[in-house]
Amino acid sequence: MKERKEPVDGTTAPAPTSDATSEVSNGIGFKWLSPLARSVKLSEGNLFLLLAIIIGIFSGLAVVCFRIAIEWARLALLGSALSPPHIRVLLVPAGAGLVVAFLVQKFFLAARGSGVNQTKAAVYVFDGYVPFRTVIGKFLTCSIAIGSGQSLGPEDPSLQMGAGIASALGRRLKLSRDKLRLLAPVGAAAGLAAAFNAPISAVLFVIEEVIGTWSASALGAIVLAAVSSAVVMRSFLGGEPMFRVPAYTLGHPAELLAYAVLGIVSGVLSLAFTKIIVIFRPILRAQPEWTHYLQPAAAGLLIGLIGLKIPQSMGAGYPYIDQALHSEYTWQILAILGFAKILTTSLSFVSGTPGGMFAPTLFIGAMIGGAIGGLEHQFFPQVSASVAPFALVGMGTFFAGFMRVPITSVFMVVETTGSYSIVLPVMISNTIAYLISRRYQDVALFDILARQDNMELPSMEEQREQIVLRVEDAFRQPNVPPLQASDTLARALEIAETSSEDCLLVRFPTGRWACIARKDLPEIAAKHPKETQLREVLTTARLPILHPDQRLDDALRFIQGHQLLPVIGRAGSRKLEGVISLPDILAAYQRAS
Amino acid sequence: MTPEPQHIVSRYLQQRVLLLSLILLALLFVVTAALARAYHAREDALAKDWADKGNSDLTANKPAMACDDYRNSLSYVPDNPNVQLHLAEALLADGRLTEARSYLANLWDRAPGSGEVNLDLAHVSMRMGDPEQAIRYFRSAILGSWEADSSRQRRKARLQLSEFLLDNRRTNDAQAVIAGIAADTPPENGSAHEENGHLFLRVGDPVKALAEFEAALQTDPQNSEWLAEAAQVAFENGNYSVAENYFSRAVRENPTDDLHASLALVRDVLRNDPFLSGLSEEEQTRRSWNDFQLGLDRLKKCTSTGASSSSSNNASSTLDTLNTDAQDLQKRVNLSALGMNPDLRNEAMQLVSRIEDVTSQICGPATDIDQALKLLKKQQEGIHP
Repeated sequence: MKERKEPVDGTTAPAPTSDATSEVSNGIGFKWLSPLARSVKLSEGNLFLLLAIIIGIFSGLAVVCFRIAIEWARLALLGSALSPPHIRVLLVPAGAGLVVAFLVQKFFLAARGSGVNQTKAAVYVFDGYVPFRTVIGKFLTCSIAIGSGQSLGPEDPSLQMGAGIASALGRRLKLSRDKLRLLAPVGAAAGLAAAFNAPISAVLFVIEEVIGTWSASALGAIVLAAVSSAVVMRSFLGGEPMFRVPAYTLGHPAELLAYAVLGIVSGVLSLAFTKIIVIFRPILRAQPEWTHYLQPAAAGLLIGLIGLKIPQSMGAGYPYIDQALHSEYTWQILAILGFAKILTTSLSFVSGTPGGMFAPTLFIGAMIGGAIGGLEHQFFPQVSASVAPFALVGMGTFFAGFMRVPITSVFMVVETTGSYSIVLPVMISNTIAYLISRRYQDVALFDILARQDNMELPSMEEQREQIVLRVEDAFRQPNVPPLQASDTLARALEIAETSSEDCLLVRFPTGRWACIARKDLPEIAAKHPKETQLREVLTTARLPILHPDQRLDDALRFIQGHQLLPVIGRAGSRKLEGVISLPDILAAYQRAS
Repeated sequence: MTPEPQHIVSRYLQQRVLLLSLILLALLFVVTAALARAYHAREDALAKDWADKGNSDLTANKPAMACDDYRNSLSYVPDNPNVQLHLAEALLADGRLTEARSYLANLWDRAPGSGEVNLDLAHVSMRMGDPEQAIRYFRSAILGSWEADSSRQRRKARLQLSEFLLDNRRTNDAQAVIAGIAADTPPENGSAHEENGHLFLRVGDPVKALAEFEAALQTDPQNSEWLAEAAQVAFENGNYSVAENYFSRAVRENPTDDLHASLALVRDVLRNDPFLSGLSEEEQTRRSWNDFQLGLDRLKKCTSTGASSSSSNNASSTLDTLNTDAQDLQKRVNLSALGMNPDLRNEAMQLVSRIEDVTSQICGPATDIDQALKLLKKQQEGIHP
């Protein structure tokens, strides 16, 4: 059995056991369940889907409570106005920073950071184990931090809380290790869907960033969990899109050029934002441990100072995104807000204050987008529309450049605004920003953060772009034509003399293939007349067949125990395209590396 | 087939955990529902408080503060269209037209038939210098739906449209709108009719204006202000009999010096008007003769005082010409000649009109009876209906 590792907070993960007898003996009050247990047969697959719904509902409820807690913390700490009194702006983030740092350092070390990487680590390092203490810690510390005006958002923590809830349930149910690993992303999708009120984006994000593949076994559960959590969230907090935007129509095709410019600027700025975090985070983490108690407070103080002049740069900032989407700021103000937010978010994040990066990223994107739109409108009023659509596109663009999730970013804009007409500019702008970010920053932010935390998590971006070797990259033409089942032993002996293959392929009229070892032929010929047809002497099992488009990894599995496999075309004639052997496969891998 | 004991145990455990989860879920649901209710109640209360503060600030002509208040309110109930509308109105009042337009455009997308939104958009377009768009929004507002008091709101929108058209010198369009307003004004709404009257005066239609003032008086015949207004319109229109009626009623209700003076003037006109219908030949002759004599006196006085005070040669020569014409006519005019010849009466009255015109220019405005003689010209020219 694989050795279990410890999660980052030092909590030992209990190994799942298959023996549940002791648990049953404790369940005195549930003896009546025994007949039910006998009558209801729930396979692990079905149980997993049912569990996904339960996880979704739990996560939805948790996120609703989390959002309410953040809001109440904000009201209690900063007051009900969007621009709080100066004394509170100055003191509250710093004071709350001290409290949060104490809680994190003393009780909830795993609550540091955004939560995305911690969830990935749970999947790839800790067999799906997320301590429930982390859920509680994340809830408490993020509520205080975000509510006090630290420039962070509730989405990534919600993602981690969802994963934690899923993991706890999975452990209670004694699920297998594989299923436990899959549960963390299921919960993560549920948490994110509820936090964003955007189930499609949540599913896509988890697939793009956490698990990296469209795994059929996980997808159904992820979708179910995301939908059920979003339904719960909507039933309690309302189903309206996160942002209300004026209707958008593309006025002139030249407008797309303006959006391309936005893509370039957002790409460059997202790159700069990434660099700031990547450079300063390890510097602060390397400071003596006692400073970790003070770093969030110091960050809070600086944020408060900035907040005295620019209160919009504090907190998650959703109301201000809404204002930017309604063209309420001039382009100069929008630019100032965007840069201020980069500064405050960097301060909050690198200081180790728990909280997410999604909301600030959207904020920065909206402001930068609006600023670019306003600037372009000033100089080219005929090309550029109003500021609002640029702010809208900017959100997705900056998100794509910073988080490096281009597909999620497109759907996120659509889902959080309910506006589908904006898709075309979003796609253009996002792609440009993403490409610029990739060109000048090889490794994505979350992967760098993982490495800074001494974890080598798989990079989903790299995985996506790895060259996939296929059978067509390895197969070759047989040096002799294949034998037919109706051919005689004499014909086989004749062919064997000219062939260098260890195995001669034999085709049956039914499409079945078999192999006759060259070294066995003389012995068989000695036992049977030369005119005997091969079908009469071939008793070997049918050979697996491969197709040129199949992955070479699959071929590697099939080739076990066979010297040679036929590669058959998928078209009706089922023509032999070539043959493949283990050395051919290895040679292909060697060439690729 | 009997399931293996180990599987039964595992399933039993799973069902136990699932059941516990469902119980926990139900509990959490109740707790979350209670929290959410409290949260929404708090949000609603805060939203209302801030919106009320915004209303107060807007009423107190502090639009910038009102904008902040409404924004605070919207941060709790972002979808409240009333607060959004108020915010747009505050932004409009604060001169932040682009922002106001953006909010209104959003509201318009959701409710394109809203009268209020269309009216505000009309204001934005008006102030952004897009008159055609403004007119379109005004018309949509007039035809749109209003949450409360729709007829009053539509009338308000029409009045604003007419004002806007008048300001843009589109008098014909304005006249059509005002005619629509008048047609839809309920007969019992006197002040609305009075308002219509003023609008008709602005588009230069005193006849319809008088009709509106009279419609207003139907609802309140003793309203001295409306009586005075009706009298004034009739007076300026040269309809002195009607004016005398309204002035005398107005004086009875509110005997001010101005009204007395106006009434006296009208009565002078009526006393001296030889063309008043229903007069006998003798009375017409007498009035013509009397007016002619008064005219000559006015000319004589002006010639003696005005010619010396006026340095203008032109004025002097005008007076000379007038004196010559007067002397010529004086030779032909006497009581019997006027009585026999209606054309001569006309000729004499035309000269009186000329005398009053010229002397008022050279020797200052006419007073008392001379003013009445001057006004007779209107009667003579048939301005009144």
